[in-house]
Amino acid sequence: MGKTILTAQKITKLFPGMKALDNVDFDLQAGEVHILVGENGAGKSTLAKVILGAYRQEEGEVFFEGERMEVSGTKDAIAKGIVAVYQEFTLVPYLNVAQNIFLNREHRTKLGFVNHKKMEEEAAALLKSLNCEYINVKSPVKKLSVAEQQMVEIAKALSYKPRVIIFDEPTSALSEREAESLFAQIHRLKREGIGIVYVSHRMEEFPKIGDRITVLRDGKKISTIGINDCSETELINMMVGRDVSQVYVRTDNQHSGEALRTENLSDYTGKVKGADIFVNRGEIVGIAGLVGSGRTELAQLIYGINPIKSGKVYVDGEEIIPKSPVNAVKHGIGLVSEDRKKQGLALGEAIALNTISVSLKKFFPRFFINNKKINGIAKQNVEQLRIVTTSVNKQCKYLSGGNQQKVVLAKWLNFDPQIIIFDEPTRGIDVGAKMEIYKLMDQLAAKGKAILMISSELPEVIGMSDRIYVMHEGRMVEECKRGEFTTEQIGSKMLGLGVGGKRNE
Amino acid sequence: MTKFIEEIKRSKSFYSLLGLIGLIIISSIIAPNFRSINNMITILRQASVLLILSSGLTAVLLTGGMDLSVGATAGLIGCICAQLIKAGVPIPGAFMIGILIGAFVGFINGTLAGILPSFIATYATNWVLSGLAIIVMNGAVIYDLPKNFTQLGVGYVGPIPVLVIMAAIIVIILYVLLQKTTYGRQVYSYGSNAEAARYSGMPVKKIMKSTFMICSICAGIAGMVITARLNAADAAMGEAYGLQTVAAVVIGGTSMLGGEGGVGGTVIGALILTIIVNVMNLKGVSSFAQPMVVGIVIIGMVLFDINTKRRQEKAAN
Repeated sequence: MGKTILTAQKITKLFPGMKALDNVDFDLQAGEVHILVGENGAGKSTLAKVILGAYRQEEGEVFFEGERMEVSGTKDAIAKGIVAVYQEFTLVPYLNVAQNIFLNREHRTKLGFVNHKKMEEEAAALLKSLNCEYINVKSPVKKLSVAEQQMVEIAKALSYKPRVIIFDEPTSALSEREAESLFAQIHRLKREGIGIVYVSHRMEEFPKIGDRITVLRDGKKISTIGINDCSETELINMMVGRDVSQVYVRTDNQHSGEALRTENLSDYTGKVKGADIFVNRGEIVGIAGLVGSGRTELAQLIYGINPIKSGKVYVDGEEIIPKSPVNAVKHGIGLVSEDRKKQGLALGEAIALNTISVSLKKFFPRFFINNKKINGIAKQNVEQLRIVTTSVNKQCKYLSGGNQQKVVLAKWLNFDPQIIIFDEPTRGIDVGAKMEIYKLMDQLAAKGKAILMISSELPEVIGMSDRIYVMHEGRMVEECKRGEFTTEQIGSKMLGLGVGGKRNE
Repeated sequence: MTKFIEEIKRSKSFYSLLGLIGLIIISSIIAPNFRSINNMITILRQASVLLILSSGLTAVLLTGGMDLSVGATAGLIGCICAQLIKAGVPIPGAFMIGILIGAFVGFINGTLAGILPSFIATYATNWVLSGLAIIVMNGAVIYDLPKNFTQLGVGYVGPIPVLVIMAAIIVIILYVLLQKTTYGRQVYSYGSNAEAARYSGMPVKKIMKSTFMICSICAGIAGMVITARLNAADAAMGEAYGLQTVAAVVIGGTSMLGGEGGVGGTVIGALILTIIVNVMNLKGVSSFAQPMVVGIVIIGMVLFDINTKRRQEKAAN
């Protein structure tokens, strides 16, 4: 570990009605990965933005290589060598890789035209240094996979020759394999003496890349510790501020009767090939599988998003034809979709209006709405689900990921469907909110709802499910009950391997 | 009360309202007779047709769609209505047929908008409808409609023109429909995020189509009212209204991307456009110079709108 390159002292940042950061100290050494953790709203992103100059702090100072930083805006920070790689991509989809990397600072020829050749050569060199020479610099970004886009984003950051890189949830869109190659690159950057600030929720990643961890809670710094000096449980306790003995809550439930069944279900894209599942009332059924195994597509078939090619869907023993979500909702099916921003919420609308979007007719059967009643319902939701907001009239785009997800859940709780499909219910949200969502799922099952949970996080599937299906290439390759499965068994099934390491079929 | 003011301030139409107030103050200073009750009533009467058209179009813009065919729809339905009345169809019957045709035109527009970008779809139907109007009129102009019908355009109830009352009724109906009903919530949800609306089990296609039907029905009513006011029908009489209607909605603060704005703002937008012309007439500005001035004033108002908004947002940060 090298010398300290960045120090933030006693940073306080105020937002209307709250202290986003309260007297926070932070330092970063050359060649170090310093992880920032905390629940949503703890102040991680705010601290990152203060360092980047995107926010101006009310109190405190930031020193970069011993010099006091006076930056106004990220441009200054970039000029000094501090860059950020965000969770949401900042690439222009229709421009190619090289054009994106040199966006707004294109190389010019002597005549003043854009020098595409030089840009492409440099972009290729950058990607090569990241072991990503397979990415074609002439290909439009739109055609790249999410992981490839992430690598382009990193190449773009590196093109500024930074001393400090801030990663904000870089792996939330990556598969495990892609994440591993990202970690390899981070290790390489470390060796080159670059200081890295790493913001993430995924605790299993920390020991792989981190050197030190700083825990924030409610805008205050709780502790900075070496990566090997604390256990995962201790870390969670620090983040949440209370003792968390068990993350997954699953009380014993009585299962009664079948609520949902699919028979030999297939879709037109070939992603789902004859899926057979059933879910009982009061049961949580998990579907494990790799990204692309057809899990989400199965949910979308049942919910009427995509047309069914062949096979049948039964609700309470009666066949239904889910032609559209309108139809599915009528039969008491709810879907907490994978992408809350695109499919879950009207981000520009108030929390209150989002919470009743499925149940308008239920609450107001006589056509006319009543804003007082809507606000009353939303206030109850906010209290029950502990949604952190100043008002139910706040637009959803201003909420953190975890709180947005809670609004999506509120939307369905208000409608009260008999069957609820959760597709990646905890993606990109912090451990506190996760636990609340697990608790809620448990309560719903206890009330007799049938719950189907799709997740890429194996511990979550194993921790919550009464029964698990393993999905591989469009069909169920394994079904097992609670207590019958181990992570390794399910993991190998997900990859399509038999018990002895042989491929199925 | 402060809560009410806060709410107005938050709405996108707040700055349009400031613009309208500014315009009224300036107008009162430069043209003293602007303030007379008579002139106020004149302004409302002049704004009526635009109010009917633009209130209907607001529904379409709220879903993120566009309807460029309102002018031609108004023209066509005004012509059909005149022909029916001339042929001896009773006035209420002719009026109902006009509304039904409006609904049909809207259904076609909405169906096409589900397949093509609505901007292109309705630009095309605008041509088709204009052409139909010429066919309906056989290239001629109809004069001298029955007095019972023309009363709709020129009559008064006490001091208030029938036209203004009709416009007010339509504005109120649309305001209530879009702000106070479950349907209105669906329209806003769809405009804000169509995908999320679909995932929430809303009948998204029906919602989108229905806004086009509302828009065309309003255009049909406007067309019949224009005919009554002119005491004549001419295939081209709706032409001038097409883009003016779009301008009124957008100046009133409704976003072309959908989900933001509303009928309240549109009323402000329609009044702004009408007052500009009214004041120029009072000041005796030559009709040759008027269009140019209208354009310049619109640019000025929108700049003001954008600048105040930016300053407010900065202050909020």
